[in-house]
Amino acid sequence: MNPQADLLPGTLDLLILKAVSLGSLHGYGILLRIQQISRGALLIEQGALYPALFRLVRQGYLKASWGTSDNNRRAKYYELTSDGRKRLREEEAGWNRLVDAMTWALGAEAEEV
Amino acid sequence: MKLVAYLRSLASTIFPNGREDKEMDEEFRAHIQRQADDLERSGLPRAEAERQARIAFGGYERTKEECREQRAGFGLETIWKDVRFGLRMLYKNPGFTAVAVLTLALGIGANAAIFSVVRGVLLRPLANRDGDRLLYLRQSLTGDDDVTFSVPEIKDIGRNLKTIKALGTLSQIDFTVVGLDDPREVSAGVVDGNYFDVMGLRPVLGRLLNPGDDGPNAAGAVVLGYRFWTTTMHSDPTVIGKTLRLGSFEGTRSATIVGVVEPSIPYPVEVEIIANIVTSPHHLSATMVDGRVHRMTEVFGRLAPGSELESARAELNTVYAGMMASHPDVYKPNDHFKITIARMHDQINSRAQTILWVLFAASGLLFVIACSNVANLFLARTVRREPELALRSALGATSGVLRRSLLAEALVLCGTGLLAGVLIAAPMVTVLGRYAARFSARAVGLTLDSSLLWIGVALALIAAIFLAFVPRLPSSDVSRGFGLTSSSVRITGGSRRRLRIFAVTQIMASFLLLAGAAALLRTLLVLQKTQPPFETSHVLAVNLPVMTDGRTPEQVREFYREVQRRVSTVPGVEHVAAGFSVPWRDSRELSISFTFAIEGAPRENGQDDPRARFRAISPGFFETLGVPIQQGRDFNDQDRDGAERVVIISQSVANQLFPGQNPLNRELRWTDPVLKFIGMSFDPRRIVGVVPDLDDQEIIPTPAMTVYQPSTQEGWYGWRLFVRAKSDPYALVPTIVREVHAMAADQPVERASTLDDVRAEVMTPDRLNAIVFGGFATLALLISVVGVAGVLAFSVSGRTREFGIRLALGAEPRSILTDVLREGLIIASIGVATGVLVGVIFAHTVARYVAEMQLPGAVVLLASAAVILAAALIASALPAARAARVDAVQALRSE
Repeated sequence: MNPQADLLPGTLDLLILKAVSLGSLHGYGILLRIQQISRGALLIEQGALYPALFRLVRQGYLKASWGTSDNNRRAKYYELTSDGRKRLREEEAGWNRLVDAMTWALGAEAEEV
Repeated sequence: MKLVAYLRSLASTIFPNGREDKEMDEEFRAHIQRQADDLERSGLPRAEAERQARIAFGGYERTKEECREQRAGFGLETIWKDVRFGLRMLYKNPGFTAVAVLTLALGIGANAAIFSVVRGVLLRPLANRDGDRLLYLRQSLTGDDDVTFSVPEIKDIGRNLKTIKALGTLSQIDFTVVGLDDPREVSAGVVDGNYFDVMGLRPVLGRLLNPGDDGPNAAGAVVLGYRFWTTTMHSDPTVIGKTLRLGSFEGTRSATIVGVVEPSIPYPVEVEIIANIVTSPHHLSATMVDGRVHRMTEVFGRLAPGSELESARAELNTVYAGMMASHPDVYKPNDHFKITIARMHDQINSRAQTILWVLFAASGLLFVIACSNVANLFLARTVRREPELALRSALGATSGVLRRSLLAEALVLCGTGLLAGVLIAAPMVTVLGRYAARFSARAVGLTLDSSLLWIGVALALIAAIFLAFVPRLPSSDVSRGFGLTSSSVRITGGSRRRLRIFAVTQIMASFLLLAGAAALLRTLLVLQKTQPPFETSHVLAVNLPVMTDGRTPEQVREFYREVQRRVSTVPGVEHVAAGFSVPWRDSRELSISFTFAIEGAPRENGQDDPRARFRAISPGFFETLGVPIQQGRDFNDQDRDGAERVVIISQSVANQLFPGQNPLNRELRWTDPVLKFIGMSFDPRRIVGVVPDLDDQEIIPTPAMTVYQPSTQEGWYGWRLFVRAKSDPYALVPTIVREVHAMAADQPVERASTLDDVRAEVMTPDRLNAIVFGGFATLALLISVVGVAGVLAFSVSGRTREFGIRLALGAEPRSILTDVLREGLIIASIGVATGVLVGVIFAHTVARYVAEMQLPGAVVLLASAAVILAAALIASALPAARAARVDAVQALRSE
């Protein structure tokens, strides 16, 4: 079996918001952070990352600013806005409801029905 | 927050700058570098690390493109691209663009202008507070459906109404006003204290009249109309408190200006100032207060809260029936007295309604013509562009993309047309407003507003969408009808049929407009051909309003006699006479008619007394107008107050009441009960003369029973002077004014005009109708001619090869010429036939709502059809000639 799970559609935004909520990051850092917090189970296709970042900035959930990284390279850092934080909470709650529902559904036994 | 982010993103789409692109590059490159660093650290050589990092990143440009697409308003960019493409295409075809833009501008401009006028005149709510609850009351009886009320009637009707809150009354009277710069005659409304409250008007200055101003002991008070205040008084705020002397035929009173009323529509009579009852001695007289048939008062009402027009109508009918029952002597069953009630708004619109909606329909037709014409041009051009469109579709452009680029082109076209159209519309509104002012007081001072622009935008959008969806796109089956190598055009059957349909539509609409215009023109021609029944070009009419200040009636009569005598001595004056009404102009006086009876002629059973127009004239009146006296004599200076009462009758009175007898010296007696209020006696009057029927009311004369009475004897004064000049009548005006002022310095001398000009003024609406509709029809015809010529030219250019072959096979050039001409004629004939059909259906539909609607006569229809066919023939001539000149060899080689 493939150790890396496929991303469900719509979960990329949630992952990005989550990754950024742990501290402002540049694009590559977001990739690494997602890999890290999903314990290597989720691998983001790099081509999809930047369009998603641009979209989230346009929607006002992220804001971007230029800064200098550890090795003195200029980098564009993304951080959550207050709208972004709210959105993240909502998405998290929604996701948890889905997971619970799926867990219950899949864990059902014949005698429970 | 979200909005700011969106706007910032949108701004960078609309105003792209290189910065964003550079930043994207920098960001992506840094990303790749970092990944390469990590890979290098894991042991790969730098070059290999960078290569793998780039591979992992994926399509660099594609990512950039996808990021750009995330920006707000991304769709705008594509549209902008299409628009630029459209602009380029139009720029490359200046002829097409010019014709199309001009046509659209006419169509959009005319419609926007007329809609502005319709909106301003018909749809706009009244200035009055709660204008839709304002009512207008009228009575009608057999033979006269527009009768005002008398004071006793108003008292009876207005008592204890439940559905109507209050009644307000106004009666029009002419005051000779002293106290302004010059003494002058002013049309005034005498109102009760409720009037302004019922009308729902506010003062712009001072106060209005209220119930405290009623009654014979109140002080005279005057409210100025807004227009009178702004024009005559130059908006002077210090007029409040000024005292005026108001002279009417029963004496002069003083009144103080207490306020200025806001702008509102003077209806049903134009009044410049509004005064309380005490200013007019006549309004306090027994005649006015007790005379049940002395009707001169307009009645307005305001619906009580919670009641509707229908319930008010029902209640009024009940009250009115009660009043009729208690006065059977006045309301005779034969007369069929009725009370009518209408919303003020509808009442005001009633006259302008028909003409404006007709005009609106005409401009709608013009829009249809304009759109059809542009659609034709557009279609023809798209057909020529078929190879290009086919190529683009072969290269992967979806039909949506092609349609969008056509739409962009159409939008550019219509947008330009809109700009030009608005430029045309602005002056048109002014012209049309002046025109509409003939029919509705509401059109006076009509102003432009933004609605004009919105209508224009809406029309332009409709036109653009229509245009973009008219052409057929190349079928996806590229191999068919895709002749990239061929420079000539092959027209598909479908496009050709559409072209013809649009041409027929244009012809049809033009025909309808032309027929309408021709019918109006015919009316005008009939009016203009009609000879006036008396001399008009050399007769000058001058108003000398009554100045009663401290003079007895006999002194006033003597004054007018003296004016006549002095003016007759002026060099260049042939005859002078006086009367109480100027033909065609003084509608109030002209409408006066009384019932009368002939002594010794027993009345037939149940038949009412005959009714004749009443005219007060001085001796010499008929001579001045150049009318012969058929029998008997003219009035003379002996026919004065106290002498034997005499009258002159018109031919039709003589014919009807004295058939085969000599009417001279028979006696005639007025029997109309109104007479006692005017102060004229019911005594018999001897007939001293017979004159031809002179219709001084209608342009097209009808036999009018008229009875003339000397103005020097009884009743009305001869306050209108008629001067017959030897040469230019207007040259006499200064001398006449000098002569009058030599006798009485403050006597107003007004509205000097020849009878010819008075008559022309009356015909102005008819002339304007003909001009406006004629203008529409001419425009429509022009556009259609261009359209038909365009369609044929296009068809000819598409059939070049066919003509070439036919010529090569020995066909006569003439047969090809007639072929094309026939095609033009067929299009035009179908158009005319459809026009007749549509016109008949339209007329039948409209006739259900508009009573006076009638189809124009056969002559008009035939003439219009002939004009259209001739125009179509001319339009086809050019393309036909070109077809006949086709060189067989050239045509075949061009393939």
